[in-house]
Amino acid sequence: MLFLLDFSDFLLNGFLTTLQVTLVGVGLGIILGILAALGDIYGGKIVKIIVNVYVEFFRGSPLIAQLFLIYFTLPVLTGLKLDVITVGYLTLALNSGAYQKGYLKGAMEAVFKDQFLAALSLGLPLRKILMYVVVPQSLRIVIPAWSNELASMAKSTTALIVIGVREFLNTGVSITAQTFKPLETYLFITIVYFIWIYSMLKILDIIYNRVKIPGLEPVI
Amino acid sequence: MEFSRSISLKRLTMTPIEQLTFLLRAVPITLSISLLSFLLGLTLGIIFSFIRIYGIAPLRYIADGYEKVFRSVPVLSIMFLLYFGLGGYIPIFKDSYLTSVIALGLVSGANQSQIFRSSIGSIGRSQMLAATSLGLSSFKALRHVILPQALFLAVPGLGSEIALLIKDSSYSFIIGVLELMKHTDILRAATRSLVFPYIASALIYVALTFPLATYLDKWGSKKKRELGL
Repeated sequence: MLFLLDFSDFLLNGFLTTLQVTLVGVGLGIILGILAALGDIYGGKIVKIIVNVYVEFFRGSPLIAQLFLIYFTLPVLTGLKLDVITVGYLTLALNSGAYQKGYLKGAMEAVFKDQFLAALSLGLPLRKILMYVVVPQSLRIVIPAWSNELASMAKSTTALIVIGVREFLNTGVSITAQTFKPLETYLFITIVYFIWIYSMLKILDIIYNRVKIPGLEPVI
Repeated sequence: MEFSRSISLKRLTMTPIEQLTFLLRAVPITLSISLLSFLLGLTLGIIFSFIRIYGIAPLRYIADGYEKVFRSVPVLSIMFLLYFGLGGYIPIFKDSYLTSVIALGLVSGANQSQIFRSSIGSIGRSQMLAATSLGLSSFKALRHVILPQALFLAVPGLGSEIALLIKDSSYSFIIGVLELMKHTDILRAATRSLVFPYIASALIYVALTFPLATYLDKWGSKKKRELGL
């Protein structure tokens, strides 16, 4: 596998792209997920319908189809032209937000039942209840679900290959084309993916054990 | 767009019905990939979850390692490793269809092993002890007491696993399997339309996965109540 040393910069760049896309996707997904969950619990009828159509569509179709839709179809329909990496961020964020809405809603409802009423009876306005009572606690409850989401997002970034983003697996394709050594190249890439994703899961597990709320166990 | 890659030089005009029929013709392939990899994963999942719970130490470490590795690795990189890396050495991986089924099945086996482990775990060791104290051998206890209940408890998880496989089968488009995503790509090239093929195929995927997720979830929790678990 020593020939891969010649490509170390190239591989590192690819890996950093994958890391960046994963973190931006999950990060924006959290915001979308919180908004969608709040909309589904506290919103009106129309908001609920919009949230559920969004969630069912992005959970029900493959990421590759969503990438094609946003890369090819969206510009035709709206005239908005995006470069590949922005399409990557946007699609992963929309996809991740749809999944995170589910986890966050479960966590919020766990906090919701009694504590929401308790906070209301203490005279807190709705905005403050959400900001100080519901959201902070649900963020802690939802960590195990999140670590699953982070791992599955990290694995999903490989789909970006179809629109030509230079992510980690795609660097392997280019290296194979130059060296004709697919076995070593893809074995190396698969091992790196394993080390990265596995250690990420372990770290989040440690964090969760430190901040978990006794009595409010995970919702998955 | 990339017209040089299109399969015909002349643009085809097709009615929406014709385009839809063309896409729907790929649905059986997509479903067969998902179903076969689900069955492979089911076999692996049952075997490995049993080994992890009831097996002896060295086997347990192997099952544990299998689960950890295949839950932390992207399915597309396994497909590339098998298809491009091993295709030259092992004949079965020369076929892109079989390669996708095996790659998806290996990953699904790790997921399903976890699903079974948690459902067997919620039945508890007490039932196993009760069954063996009644004189059943541990194999018979597994076969007649634990497994029938564990299968019911696992139904919602297995339902979302099939839905996941239907969506993930789209990765096999990248190594050239003629499934729904590939048909979409061909249709896009033939009609040079960037709108209809992509929207239609995304909606077909939603239509395939939506009933699984909702119906099996309801059925699973109804069964759970009936069994009193």
